[in-house]
Amino acid sequence: MSASQPSKLSNFHDVELATLAQTGDRKAFGELVRRHGSGVRGLLRRMGAASSEADDVAQDAFLAGFEAIAEFRGEGAFAGWIKKIAARQYLRRLQRERRLATLALGAEAPEAASPPDAAGRIDLDEALKTLGAPERLCVSMCYGAGLSHAEAAEALNLPLGTVKSHVKRGLEKLRTRLAPADGALVEGSRANG
Amino acid sequence: MAELDFERGLEQLFAEAPYFSDADGFAGRVENRLNRGWVMRRGLIGAAGVVGGVIGASQLFLSNVAQRIGDASEDSNRLIHAGMAQVKPGFDVLSLVHSDWTVVWVASGLAIVAMGFVLTRVIEEI
Repeated sequence: MSASQPSKLSNFHDVELATLAQTGDRKAFGELVRRHGSGVRGLLRRMGAASSEADDVAQDAFLAGFEAIAEFRGEGAFAGWIKKIAARQYLRRLQRERRLATLALGAEAPEAASPPDAAGRIDLDEALKTLGAPERLCVSMCYGAGLSHAEAAEALNLPLGTVKSHVKRGLEKLRTRLAPADGALVEGSRANG
Repeated sequence: MAELDFERGLEQLFAEAPYFSDADGFAGRVENRLNRGWVMRRGLIGAAGVVGGVIGASQLFLSNVAQRIGDASEDSNRLIHAGMAQVKPGFDVLSLVHSDWTVVWVASGLAIVAMGFVLTRVIEEI
C-alpha cells in the first residue's frame, strides 16, 4: 500500500492508516488527523486549555504522534493513543511555562458554568467548568485521556493519593451536575470553535 | 455498581468529540506542518551530504592523493609493460587506456552524485 487518494483513505480503518503512516504516508496520517482532531482539541479544552492553546498543543501532539507512529501497534484505539500524547504535551507546556504548579495546587478559581437545563442538568463541558483546576485536570486525564491514576500522578508530579482525592471530588461534583435527578447522564455536548 | 455505570458513562461522554466548524482547516494545518517538516528535513540532510562531499573531496585533494595515484600507476605501468612484453612482445595494452586525470575527477563526481541518490533513497525509506 503506497500513498493513497484521500477519498479512498476515508474507507480505511485507523490501524490501516497508522500502518501506512509508518511507511511515511503523510496523507494517511492526515486522514487520522481529520478523524481525531476534534476529539483531541476537545480533550485539551476539557483539561482547561484556552481554545487557541488547545489547538496549538493538538497540532504539536499530532506532529509528535507522526514521529512516534512506529510505537503505535494497534493494540488499543488510535484515539486513546493520540489523546495520551496530547495530554502529556499539554502538561509539559504547563510545566515549561511554570503554570502546572499553580493549577495542580488549585490556586485558580473554577470558571462560571452556564445555567442547567429544565431538568437541572448541564453538559460535560459546562459541568467541568464547575470543577477546580486540579480536579478538572485529573478527571480529564483519567477519563478523557485514559491515563491510570498512577500515570496521571507521575505526569502531574503529584502524590498518587492526591490525584485519587482530586478524581474522587471531581466525580462527586460531576455526578451532581450531570445527573442530578434521575441519574441519567446528559448526552452530547455543545459545539465549539 | 451505580458508581461504575457513572464512570463508564463519563468515559463515553469524554469519547464524544465536540463539533468544530474548522475541523478540516485544523487537519490541513497539521498536514502543512508535516509536509514543511519533511521538506526541511530532506533539505538539511541533502545539505549535510553536500558539505560532507565537499569536505571529503578537499581532504582527498589536500592529501595529495592524485600524485600518489600517479606514482602508483607509473609503477604499475612499468610492471604491466614488463609482464606483457614477456607474454607477447610488441603488444602495448596500455595504449588502449587514456590515462587522463579528467577521467578520475569525472568518476569521483559521478560517485558523489550516486552517493547523493543513495542517501536520498535511504532517507525516503526511513
